[in-house]
Amino acid sequence: MSDLKSLIKEKLNDGADAFLCLKEEEGTLLPALITDADSPDLELAAVGEARYPLGKILIDLLREYPDKRFAVLVRGCDERALIELSKLEQVDLDRLVMVGVACTEEEARACGCPRPYPSEVALGEKVEAAPGRETIAEVESLSDAERLRWWKEEFSRCIKCYGCRNICPMCFCKDCALENPHLVEPGVIPPEFPSFHVIRALDMAGRCIDCGLCEEACPADIPLRSLYRRMQEIMEEKLGYRAGESAEEKSPLSFLGSEQDIKKLERE
Amino acid sequence: MAEESAARKDDDIRILAFLCNWCSYAGADLAGVSRLQYPAKVLDVRVMCTGTISPYFVIKAFQEGMDGVLIAGCHIGDCHYLKGNYMTAKRFQVLRETLKFLGLEEGRLRLEWVSAAEGEKYAEVIRSFTEEIEKLGPSPLRKKKAEVGA
Ligand code: SF4
Ligand code: SF4
Repeated sequence: MSDLKSLIKEKLNDGADAFLCLKEEEGTLLPALITDADSPDLELAAVGEARYPLGKILIDLLREYPDKRFAVLVRGCDERALIELSKLEQVDLDRLVMVGVACTEEEARACGCPRPYPSEVALGEKVEAAPGRETIAEVESLSDAERLRWWKEEFSRCIKCYGCRNICPMCFCKDCALENPHLVEPGVIPPEFPSFHVIRALDMAGRCIDCGLCEEACPADIPLRSLYRRMQEIMEEKLGYRAGESAEEKSPLSFLGSEQDIKKLERE
Repeated sequence: MAEESAARKDDDIRILAFLCNWCSYAGADLAGVSRLQYPAKVLDVRVMCTGTISPYFVIKAFQEGMDGVLIAGCHIGDCHYLKGNYMTAKRFQVLRETLKFLGLEEGRLRLEWVSAAEGEKYAEVIRSFTEEIEKLGPSPLRKKKAEVGA
């Protein structure tokens, strides 16, 4: 993957003012913003195995530098996040150049993401992976009462660190509902069910792009991804929408739609 | 309408109904002035349009110990604000499926379209919903006694 360096130089030459990627410094991967070809960071630039919600960093960068253009290294999940964030008016795709990297087979299998590669791949080889649905199927096979007990048990380990929200590339609100004392009682750990977790799940409907960072970040090993994956399935089954797929089609939860659509929905 | 009574017993069920100002609240009013009989276990909240009901409100209602939540508004096509109820119809689908996945009985959340002229329908909705919630009993999401006092 040594040609990441040449790709960075190429994009900087072609009009990008900076390249956002990761660098490996003393064994640690961190985000790096490379602004010229002489930068010492260029030597350290790496695809790496760890992931960062680069979209989140880009929201701030694009806002702070309204006349700059950025190139960014994207995996499949990063691309989906940027597409969805643009429809939510958080990033401007016209000022972004995405340089795609396909996840390795090992990464793809470990992650279980539905599409472990972006639409255009500049680095790596595309591999397909089957998204895991075992936990969802297990939960669905339970009765209502058992299911509730199962989730309550899982959520009882939550220490309300907000890690799931903080790492999520799709969480960008300044005022977070999870910190609204009318919705989630402050100072209660674990947070009450259903308020904290169900509010977050509902907000992810039509937004979650299934990167899995939340579950990776959760110190309590709560199967968050299965919950949000189910939210994606619900959006697809009921409203025919998948977040992060099309750059034009918006989430049905963010516009009114037509009478015909609603009537059809009601007949189901 | 139904009052929060101090003498309420623990296993008495509680239902919260969000009614839109223009249709369902007027329908409820018509049911009242027509002296139709229906159970008084419903606390109602008048909203200008069902489209203003955030799913958060429903979660909060269950969090606070409601055993059932009803959302009632104008029929599709009759919304006073033209399309407010489109959002309700869509959000409702997502909300209902989410709660189902988490293990809350499906019957505890209901969406009905009740016009200002449908006093009888309103009374019938309240009768059947109350009956359903009574059959399901107190919500498993109610806080335990000790937690409430704390
Ligand atoms: S998988 Fe988790 S972190 Fe990623 S978009 Fe969905 S909710 Fe956010
Ligand atoms: S990351 Fe895990 S422990 Fe932290 S708030 Fe989210 S669910 Fe709770």
